[in-house]
Amino acid sequence: MTSFEFEGRQIPIELGDSIATALYRSGVRTFSRSFKYHRPRGLYCGTGDCPNCSMTVEGEPAVRTCVTPATPGLEVHRSTGWPSADIDVFSALWWLRPFMPVGFYYKSMHKPAAVWPIAERFIRQLAGLGDVPLNQAPDDRERRYHHADVCVIGAGIAGLTAALVAADRDETVVVCDEGRVGSKIPPGALDSRITASLAQVRRDRRITLIEHGTAFGIYEGPLVPIVAADGLHLVLPKRVVVTTGAAERHGVFAGNDLPGVWLARGAAVAVGRHGLGLGNHAVVVMETEYALDNLASIQAAVRIDAVLAPSALAARIPTGLRVIVDGKVERALGRARLRAVEIRSPQGVERIGCDTLILAFGLVPRDNLVRQATAASVTVAVGGDVATPGLGLEAAIASGRAAGRGEPTPLEEPTLPAAPCAGFVCLCEDVSAADLDLAWAEGYQGTELLKRYSTATMGPCQGAMCHGHLRSFVAARSPVPILSVATTARPPARPVRLQDVAAGARYPLEWHTGLHERHLEMGGIMEWAGVWKRVERYGDVMEEYRAVRERVSIMDVSTLGKYHLAGRDATAFLERLYPCHVANLKPGRSRYALLLNEAGYVFDDGLVGRFGAEEYYLTFTSSGADAMESWLRDWAESWGHTVRLANQTGTLGAINVAGPRARDLLVKLSDDPVDSKTIPYGGLARITIAGVSCLLLRVGFVGELSFELHHPRLETVKLWDALLEAGRELGVRPHGLEALRLLRLEKGHLIVGQDTDFDSTPAKLGLEWAVKMEKSEFVGRTALLRLKDIEPNRILRAFTFPGNDVPLEGAQLLEGTDRVGYLTSSRYSPVLGYGVALAWVYRHRGTFPTTVEAIDGSGRTMVGTVAEAPFYDREGGRLRA
Amino acid sequence: MALMFPCPQCGSRPFTEFWCGGELPDGGHGAAGDIEADYARVWLKRNVCGDQPERWFHHAGCRRWISLTRHTVTNLIHDVV
Ligand code: FES
Ligand SMILES: [Zn+2]
Repeated sequence: MTSFEFEGRQIPIELGDSIATALYRSGVRTFSRSFKYHRPRGLYCGTGDCPNCSMTVEGEPAVRTCVTPATPGLEVHRSTGWPSADIDVFSALWWLRPFMPVGFYYKSMHKPAAVWPIAERFIRQLAGLGDVPLNQAPDDRERRYHHADVCVIGAGIAGLTAALVAADRDETVVVCDEGRVGSKIPPGALDSRITASLAQVRRDRRITLIEHGTAFGIYEGPLVPIVAADGLHLVLPKRVVVTTGAAERHGVFAGNDLPGVWLARGAAVAVGRHGLGLGNHAVVVMETEYALDNLASIQAAVRIDAVLAPSALAARIPTGLRVIVDGKVERALGRARLRAVEIRSPQGVERIGCDTLILAFGLVPRDNLVRQATAASVTVAVGGDVATPGLGLEAAIASGRAAGRGEPTPLEEPTLPAAPCAGFVCLCEDVSAADLDLAWAEGYQGTELLKRYSTATMGPCQGAMCHGHLRSFVAARSPVPILSVATTARPPARPVRLQDVAAGARYPLEWHTGLHERHLEMGGIMEWAGVWKRVERYGDVMEEYRAVRERVSIMDVSTLGKYHLAGRDATAFLERLYPCHVANLKPGRSRYALLLNEAGYVFDDGLVGRFGAEEYYLTFTSSGADAMESWLRDWAESWGHTVRLANQTGTLGAINVAGPRARDLLVKLSDDPVDSKTIPYGGLARITIAGVSCLLLRVGFVGELSFELHHPRLETVKLWDALLEAGRELGVRPHGLEALRLLRLEKGHLIVGQDTDFDSTPAKLGLEWAVKMEKSEFVGRTALLRLKDIEPNRILRAFTFPGNDVPLEGAQLLEGTDRVGYLTSSRYSPVLGYGVALAWVYRHRGTFPTTVEAIDGSGRTMVGTVAEAPFYDREGGRLRA
Repeated sequence: MALMFPCPQCGSRPFTEFWCGGELPDGGHGAAGDIEADYARVWLKRNVCGDQPERWFHHAGCRRWISLTRHTVTNLIHDVV
């Protein structure tokens, strides 16, 4: 015999068992402890609609065990109660309830303020639905799309019929059910019809059946997300059919949550399908006709001492049973278990000893998804019990047919139960009628207010049990219809794990340059740069830095945005796009260019290089590389220019060779001339280096003689190795991002995104030289014209800090006690012997501060003075060497 | 979240493959104008409740821009070019 583990003992499994039925058979009666008062809760609905059977299964809390199949080897325990759910010392909380009225923690634990953190910790441990596992390994789940014609939610008789009808019309169908089809139905006529239809559905190749698949929402589109064991199914149907059926109505009276109190269908399934016993003596409330069928099977399992029925139904109760006409349950008595019920009838009040109380108050539609759909403006067809609760087998089939054809079914306004006077209205959140009374007295009058204040209807069942009672509670107190409206239904209709929603989205995009393996071999420490992994350093940053300043160094800059642009209108297009001149650029030259958006703000920078009359090479920052394609295409299309654009960011590698000996290194590997005459600063040429054909750009980000070599990605390792090999006697070593950040800061170069932000105009950045306002048109020009006469309220400035220490990036700048700015970049400069920085400063008392006090995250204070950038090699002689 | 865009190049694709380029201003995107018209185009969004012309970029597909009309309440899409 197979079994699973429950709190240290083995529980045998019988065919068709859910976890809950197997546990019940083995004698478990307390299935959970309630959310707030730690009251014992037993099996109640048996259909996955209430919270009572929630347990921790395989480390996952809040699993509804009555709809979770028992499989061998599971580890199951109750999530709440200490030392155990059976003997929970905190059940004493029930006797303390006068001190914990609804919302008590807002009212009582805020003074003195120091109390709250302690109280909060304690409350959090006491309340809740179990512990979220924090060290669980992420699960590989798939996300898959179904482009079906119809999605049917709920595979009861109406849903199966609808699916078959749609398939007969040659539509493709996805039909899902949150459990095994038919498992919530007691044996009988309905059960056999379902079995027959199910067999037909399984044979039909146009129908995809997803069992144990929970549709937790209906979104616009429409989209129906279904969580199943094998991952997340996203169904994108042309139309949706909702046949989620109805739940049994929750009964509200004092003691209504005691173990031993059952909803009728759950009890009938337990005895009829799983052969469970219900106890020795039962009282049955039979207020609705449809449940009469279940009476026989219940009678076979337990002795029925009394049936409470309205006079209209009394005659239909089987003879031999004692009927109390018009009897109402006044309260249920008992502590850990039901012991007796008190019944009020026209004959008076009577107490009957019993251990089982079975409630058939009627059905409430499981209409959460329908109401969600309405909110998302999605039209759905409804069929079966969800449309008309308790409509009976033949009518359910007929309405399933109509729904399958897509005929709209009017949704009946559900009848409300009697207003609750005592007992638990909301089982999930432990909200009693007395709590609602108090909330009402405090002024929370109306369903939406009561919901938010008491959290009734906000539990795992999303109000399936308590929503109608909340409405009738309000309706009994106020004639104003709007106060007792149905509250808004929102996804998820059923509890879902974030992991399920994130199925298929777990893998972060990680791009590697062609040199990634080389970097790792050389001990490179990698860091994220957008979607890329780049080298932060290989070893000693100062050594890398000195190689650039004193000898020669190479860096992998393959992540730069690299575009080839050509076509009839290429020059006209770029002239109109960039704020700098493009038309007067000579072939074989390149130029630094800012990118402005229409609001006149700098959002990227790079180079424009010209090959020929209408042929260009454009580079952008690594972080802007991807988005620039959409930007370029957008303008080209909008203006109707004829240009062709190739995004070569991924196909080209790029290596920067920098340092006073950079040319010496290239000469060793190339027969092409690389002298300053042939390739001056800003030059652009095609040359062959170490047998690799390269596009060479003479650039100057680090402030030394430097050459960027752009080349086919497949040859990048060959080029890299050749440069290192040939450069050995020159003392070459590669440098990473950290060295680069210092090198560029000494030159006062800003990094877009680090030193700029969302409203950085060229004027604020001190980059007006890169903007040619005399041009008649470029993107952002009108915005700059408009801003021309407005004095900037803040500007980016260079600062120096004496000594060998600098404040950390992000440090606040003060003048006296006034905050006047913050640092965006700062490093100690070894060649200069003092700290260099870029900072935003605000206009303060009419001017921009020139001497500031910087306070950084470590609490240090340092005085900085405004300076003129670049700090290093101001004349640029080294750059142009 | 279920938006499917009928991309003229790629067919019906989930909207997560697209970047939103915002609403299409009167007179179309990129229209040159005087300072005031330009200001209105860049800053004064209509943000309609109803049908709104928009631009979307199919970054995870054909990498082309498409223009379409989206109903901002129902997310129904038509007039794709
Ligand atoms: S009973 Fe579940 S939310 Fe109220
Ligand atoms: Zn496309």
